[in-house]
Amino acid sequence: MMKKLSGARIVIEALIQENVKVIFGYPGGAVLPIYDELFKQNKIRHILVRHEQAAVHAAEGYARSTGKVGVVLVTSGPGATNTVTGLTDAMMDSVPVVCISGQVPTHMIGNDAFQEADIVGITRPCTKHNYLVKEISKLAESIHSAFHIAKNGRPGPVLVDIPKDIQTFETKYGGKKHTKSFAFYKPHTKPSFDTIVKFVNLLEKSKKPIFYVGGGVINSGSRASLYLKKLLKITGFPCTQTLMGLGATPTSDDQFIGMLGMHGTYEANLSMNKSDLMICIGARFDDRITGKVSGFSPKSKKVHLDIDASSFNKSVNVDLLIQGDLSKILEMTLKYIENKRISFSKEKISAWWIQINKWRAKNCLNYKNSKSIIKPQYALQRLDFLTKHLDPFITTEVGQHQMWAAQFLTFNKPKHWMTSGGLGTMGYGLPAAMGVQIAHPKDLVIDVAGEASILMNIQEMSTIKQYRLPVKIFILNNHYMGMVRQWQELLHGNRLSESYMDSLPDFVKLAESFGATGLRISKPGEMDDLIKEMIKIKGPVICDVVVDPKENCFPMIPSGSTHDQMLLGPNDKLEGEISEEGMVLV
Amino acid sequence: MTESHSKHILSIMVDNEPGVLARIVGLFSGRGYNIESLSVSEVDSDRFLSRVTVVTSGTKNIIDQIKAQVRKLIPVHNLIDITELKSFIGKELILMKLDIKQKTVLKIHKHIKNIGAKILFEDKTVIIIEFSGTPTEISGLIKKMKVYNIVELTRSGLVSMALGKDYIRR
Ligand SMILES: Cc1cc2nc3c(=O)[nH]c(=O)nc-3n(C[C@H](O)[C@H](O)[C@H](O)COP(=O)(O)OP(=O)(O)OC[C@H]3O[C@@H](n4cnc5c(N)ncnc54)[C@H](O)[C@@H]3O)c2cc1C
Ligand SMILES: Cc1ncc(C[n+]2csc(CCOP(=O)(O)OP(=O)(O)O)c2C)c(N)n1
Ligand SMILES: [Mg+2]
Repeated sequence: MMKKLSGARIVIEALIQENVKVIFGYPGGAVLPIYDELFKQNKIRHILVRHEQAAVHAAEGYARSTGKVGVVLVTSGPGATNTVTGLTDAMMDSVPVVCISGQVPTHMIGNDAFQEADIVGITRPCTKHNYLVKEISKLAESIHSAFHIAKNGRPGPVLVDIPKDIQTFETKYGGKKHTKSFAFYKPHTKPSFDTIVKFVNLLEKSKKPIFYVGGGVINSGSRASLYLKKLLKITGFPCTQTLMGLGATPTSDDQFIGMLGMHGTYEANLSMNKSDLMICIGARFDDRITGKVSGFSPKSKKVHLDIDASSFNKSVNVDLLIQGDLSKILEMTLKYIENKRISFSKEKISAWWIQINKWRAKNCLNYKNSKSIIKPQYALQRLDFLTKHLDPFITTEVGQHQMWAAQFLTFNKPKHWMTSGGLGTMGYGLPAAMGVQIAHPKDLVIDVAGEASILMNIQEMSTIKQYRLPVKIFILNNHYMGMVRQWQELLHGNRLSESYMDSLPDFVKLAESFGATGLRISKPGEMDDLIKEMIKIKGPVICDVVVDPKENCFPMIPSGSTHDQMLLGPNDKLEGEISEEGMVLV
Repeated sequence: MTESHSKHILSIMVDNEPGVLARIVGLFSGRGYNIESLSVSEVDSDRFLSRVTVVTSGTKNIIDQIKAQVRKLIPVHNLIDITELKSFIGKELILMKLDIKQKTVLKIHKHIKNIGAKILFEDKTVIIIEFSGTPTEISGLIKKMKVYNIVELTRSGLVSMALGKDYIRR
């Protein structure tokens, strides 16, 4: 006979059934019964973060670097509201996360009870789905459904809010297999065959094709990356990747022409602009990519491969839609090409490649190096050169350093690049790096940071200390919210309103106070030694790399402009005033 | 580029669970779509299903986006765009309370009979009438009755259904 278990115990048992190994959390009154059950078992490891937002980012880092669901456990009220930024981040970047929050007991809900917050109401728009468990009989079902929803279809965060009395009530739990039907959720994963035929037809006809590859490939998993690599090889077409897609296929490949978009390469953006066939693979035509929509790749036929119907024709109208999971779509495409013995003539696209190589020759990422001051680009080039053989996992904060990292680092494997793209959350990188390091204890994990962003979750140094996580924090310290300063220079008459970072901590001492190593350099000549030392050190390190405070990130497509109105360097001036329409864009 | 806006009637089958209406309404307000009319009620008590009818308007792209977004909500089982079917009917219900002065009561009675409304309640001071019809008919009725003293009125959202054998699957 099945034994009766408490709600709290069922939570733990259900997590074990979902193969959860690690959860990131922070205790409090409304989750004490669950923490008590955690104490009594040893199958699940709990990582005590220092702020609930960090728990979610850590879970995101864990999820994105493994392909598994990241799990978070927090208390009611402030514990739950602290997760909102993290959940929104996971929503925007399609990261599978399950967040379990405690709630005041059911009979007190709605009474403004101590530490009560309507977290289901608050997170409705920033989760893929959420549950308030009002009956113990629905508990197991809600948790298993949460995992099912978080990881299937377009991944995303799911929150399960569990009142404290539910955690103490008892009921029978027969495991996942015996739990009543999952939520009515069956995403469309298999594309229709005739769309595949049409797709291959378009591929065959094109003279100026481009693959525009996004985060969906990473979401779909390693097989999608493998198939895409094959398709690239068979076709010989050029490939650009979004910020979220970096590493979907190796960025060291010769067919890779750089990231596209606002800070993308000249060759990638012009290829998008002038192409006759754009093949969007798991990307979502974000406004950082399209610039002014009316001038976005005006002459191309567009194909869009995506699992989410709401991604189609959202901002850009597309000629052929293929709905399904990318690994399925790409597998079917390759099979069809093979069965029909279709071969792609390299001649047909040779003029296109000649053109692209001319654009490439502009060497748009070029910058003026210096012997006296460290250029941030140089620091990252050296970091790349000295670490890429180790295939490091890279996380970032948000700002110029993030864009330079995207431009200058090599990503040869998927799931090795964790960055906050859709929400652009400063403070993401450090906790995300913890999550990655927990999942990959032996690997090199580096948070490329700005001095402003790192302070947003700096309390996590304490978590890093506790679990001896050898995370390397590589701060490109320009003493400014560089990205903000850049916009102020460009769009607001160089009035640097509140973007200077005064009163910074001594990062070396800060590191030491948390038992980490602190290193600081300010001379280009010291760069290589610093990086080598950083890698050599077994524990956590903060590198305070003092860089040129004035450097700006190029290329840049000012908001509201089109791909062919790119600024390539500090000497490029905006043509006329930026339009009012452009000024209001973010 | 000016694209034409058109009105659409969306019929949505959802799990009748707490918060489901908030999800739909929140989606519309959060994404800046407008709701011109809304009606909800449970239609299948065995399977706990409710039917929601939303009247909205927008360009073709916006309407497609609304449908895709609504279909993504987990408790949504099915959505059909009734306006895209060959023919359909849409009805609203109105209740109206009129202040009656002795001398007009006969005239009112005659009027009510003419337009096919039903009298639900009557005493010396007020009459409550009920009428169901298309939104245009209802608006017409309100206009006509303005000659009397309308104390209050309430009208339901639109409910709608395809004519012929098309129907929304559960
Ligand atoms: C300061 C800053 C500057 C930025 N500048 C740039 C820039 O210059 N260039 C740039 O590219 N980005 C830039 N970004 C990021 C940008 O805001 C977007 O986050 C990013 O472009 C979105 O990437 P994506 O299109 O690959 O979509 P994602 O957000 O990764 O979405 C993935 C898509 O794939 C689909 N999908 C998911 N799973 C599957 C599956 N299994 N099968 C099929 N489809 C699936 C989803 O439905 C979705 O449509 C910047 C961000 C910041 C913070
Ligand atoms: C939480 C949050 N607040 C504000 C912003 C707006 N913002 C974007 S970049 C940036 C400056 C980041 O500065 P720093 O971390 O030093 O990076 P840098 O640009 O100097 O490399 C700011 C304030 C944001 N993205 N996130
Ligand atoms: Mg900075």
